[in-house]
Amino acid sequence: MTTAQVRKLKNGIALTVCTIAAFLGLFWLIFILWDVLVHGIGGLHLSLFMNDPAPPGIEGGGLRNAFVGHLIITFFATLIGVPIGILGGTFLAEYARGRKIARVISVLSDIMVSVPSIVIGTFIYAVIVKPVGHFSGWAGAVALAIIMIPVVLRTTEDMLSLVPWTLREAAFALGAPYYKVIIHVVYRAAAAGILTGILLSIARVVGETAPLLFTSFNNSFFSANMNEPVSSLTVTIFQYAMGPYSNWHSQAWAASLMITLFILVLAVLGRLLLAWRYGKRPTI
Amino acid sequence: MFKPKFLCILTGLAISLLSFGSSFAADTKLNGAGASFPYPVYSAWAYDYNKVSGAQLNYQSIGSGGGIRQIVNRTVDFGASDAPLKPEELEKDSLLQFPAVIGGVVLVVNIPGIKAGELKLDSNVLCNIYLGEINYWDDEKIKRLNPGKALPHKEITVVHRSDGSGTTAIFTDYLSAVSSDWKEKVGAGTSVKWPAGIGGKGNEGVANYVKRVGYSIGYVEFAYAKENNLSHTLLKNSAGNFIKPSFESFKEAAGSADFDPKKGFYLWLNNAPGKKAWPIAGATFILLAKEKKESNINVVKFYDWAFKKGDETAERLIYVPLPVSLKNKIRAYWKSHNIY
Amino acid sequence: MTIRLKKNPVDIIFSSITAIASVSVLLLILGILYVLILESYPSIEKFGFLRFITSTDWNPVKGSFGAATNLFGTAITTVLSILIAVPVAIGIAIFVTEIAPNFLKGPIGAAIELLAAIPSIIYGMWGLFTLAPIMANYIEPALQKSIGSLPLVGVLFEGTPMGIDLLTASVILSIMIIPFTASISRDAFNLTPAVIKESAYALGATKREVVKDIVIPYSKVGVFGGVVLSLGRALGETMAVAFVLGNNHQITKSLFDAAATITVTLANEFTEADTDIYLSSLFYLALLLFVMSFIILALAKFFILKTEKGIKQ
Repeated sequence: MTTAQVRKLKNGIALTVCTIAAFLGLFWLIFILWDVLVHGIGGLHLSLFMNDPAPPGIEGGGLRNAFVGHLIITFFATLIGVPIGILGGTFLAEYARGRKIARVISVLSDIMVSVPSIVIGTFIYAVIVKPVGHFSGWAGAVALAIIMIPVVLRTTEDMLSLVPWTLREAAFALGAPYYKVIIHVVYRAAAAGILTGILLSIARVVGETAPLLFTSFNNSFFSANMNEPVSSLTVTIFQYAMGPYSNWHSQAWAASLMITLFILVLAVLGRLLLAWRYGKRPTI
Repeated sequence: MFKPKFLCILTGLAISLLSFGSSFAADTKLNGAGASFPYPVYSAWAYDYNKVSGAQLNYQSIGSGGGIRQIVNRTVDFGASDAPLKPEELEKDSLLQFPAVIGGVVLVVNIPGIKAGELKLDSNVLCNIYLGEINYWDDEKIKRLNPGKALPHKEITVVHRSDGSGTTAIFTDYLSAVSSDWKEKVGAGTSVKWPAGIGGKGNEGVANYVKRVGYSIGYVEFAYAKENNLSHTLLKNSAGNFIKPSFESFKEAAGSADFDPKKGFYLWLNNAPGKKAWPIAGATFILLAKEKKESNINVVKFYDWAFKKGDETAERLIYVPLPVSLKNKIRAYWKSHNIY
Repeated sequence: MTIRLKKNPVDIIFSSITAIASVSVLLLILGILYVLILESYPSIEKFGFLRFITSTDWNPVKGSFGAATNLFGTAITTVLSILIAVPVAIGIAIFVTEIAPNFLKGPIGAAIELLAAIPSIIYGMWGLFTLAPIMANYIEPALQKSIGSLPLVGVLFEGTPMGIDLLTASVILSIMIIPFTASISRDAFNLTPAVIKESAYALGATKREVVKDIVIPYSKVGVFGGVVLSLGRALGETMAVAFVLGNNHQITKSLFDAAATITVTLANEFTEADTDIYLSSLFYLALLLFVMSFIILALAKFFILKTEKGIKQ
């Protein structure tokens, strides 16, 4: 064989291996999604959304409490986490732009994004659950909010930085104070990006289990009272999947399907929004 | 100014959601937490009770240790534990205690050629197997209990629980009671440092291991042995009879045991004196805070209802209901504390 | 680019609010560290540091705790999952940047990133119900038959294949971290100046040679950062492993044995802990995990920033 042929052969082998790797990745994605779909669709009845759990052996139970509880916890987490994240990101991209503190906080937030979520669960147990004396929906919401803050903060910072400086200067020239410039000009220009950050941060926390295990705990009845233990889908899935009853398993699959669909929709929406507005991908 | 407006709407929504939530709080609500073993039966009772009374009894299985911790800290209306607290512990934390349902721990084996109920064991052999001192199925000691049976020269794989559990507490308490060696080396508790074997997560994990690993032995709750069609062994009880695990032998264990209300019913059912009593069993207990009269009355109402109407549900889920005599003792105990 | 405008009172208030919000991240990190140290203090006092991390004793009955079994489980699952994930992830990154036709680059890249969006509890459940039986019935016996008889490595594949073990947990973790590694590697590859690549192609280099001699040397620090970041993720993953690891406190030779990681121990035993020293030791584990992942993630960030800076200059 000539050198050229050897090079061609090596090239072919290497490219094939890489292609196989890529399709292996796709294979897992399809395998997992297909499995969740096949197992989950059998458990999707109207009763799953309309009824509260029935004990093992009794037909017709549902997970209404967990669906509603999960929504409420996520909602309050968003309510706490998003404003702090956006304001924090604003500071980094506007008032502290280019200063050392902005860089430090930015890097720390990137690290916080990947800190094990179970550690945040234990932290909230120590600072909220123990002093208050009982598990509560609030504890769960705060734990999720802590996970959201760095995500929102970093995307906001990135998105605000993309807004051209000249736009601000134009507003300054009209005599507007900085805060007005930020709210009326910068936020407006970066709205789509900030929204993406919010979507992705919700997608990030909505599937979290570990931080809820010892914070919002679980509740076998319907409860929208955030001062009490509140049921969540993910904790329920953990409990049901580990349990011995087959109708628990099918409900756990159905709940998994719903969560996965919800997250994929959010993730795809966020990506489309970014691609449409900026032609780029999210960093997380 | 899209943000502040947005926030206002969100806050408004939040407030309306909260008031919506509190409007649900009219009925009696009770929070309980603890042992995972009785979780299915408590939640089944709570479901039925909710239908007849409207009261919501939220029971969460967090483990016996957690149940004790929560009631001691007064963060729940009742705690549940598979291991009873000693009278002096009850005194110290000002708690009341009564049993609610019986569970039995059975031994299951996977030895090709040996069917359910064919292998006989006694406490000494069992202990030595779990200590890792008897290593083969054709050990002299096992042979002596099973004369004429062809036992293979195969290594025994010991299976135990890997997570903390009341099942382990009952089982290790039994081993500690019958063997000073075990008591010294390992001790009893919801999770212990096992001298031998492999660990499975939950009753299921143990059942699963025993099913798949040849020549293994494990201990599981009675319900799991039944549901998974595992071969149980016979076990010699304190009266000297080889007993088959069944509703009857558990009931006999519960009936023959002398629960003393004065001690907060503190008792392990291990080695109960009944002739046909299964030797490894335990009641699972409810813990109440003495000073919480109002919620105690409601909790007691629930268990009184469960004692009256819940036996069938319990047996369907393969739990052993308390014998009538014990139920009456418990009612008298409630009365004496003015919560019934 | 600092701006010095006429200070408006509202501006001062608004800027302070934003400053507080951003400093909250810093305060959270310090707060977590402080609280974890405080809660684990009884255990730190009782067992010390060296004794705690080297002791394999995890004995709730006697109240004696050591982290060695947990550290072992965490280390093995993390390292093994990285070994499985990194080659695949780099293959994916090369495929998406260099090989795939343009119309496929976006969709395939996005699809693989969606793997990262699937919540870990779904991975865990899928692992328990689908992957574990496959591992136990097909893959593990096959491994045992093929390389199980070799000297040295054979010992890794001893015992009965149960599917609930170190190997299955590592495979699940590897599937979870592939998207992270692939995504960061791709970003690093994309930073290679197109001019250099194009001139190499013009000289007649094959794609393999371009990747090997230009793209990888240019981006290796960034790729390494991606690997370290994935390491940090794998280290702290809880739910995906909790289902399939078996929670058994032991140091084993075989990959077919159950084990425990720090995260799994926390998830399984946190609400169960009945004594103060037990709970405190669990907090101690959480503290170790927090510090370890913080250091690893900081390292990852350092490498990733270094590539970006290097390219810019």
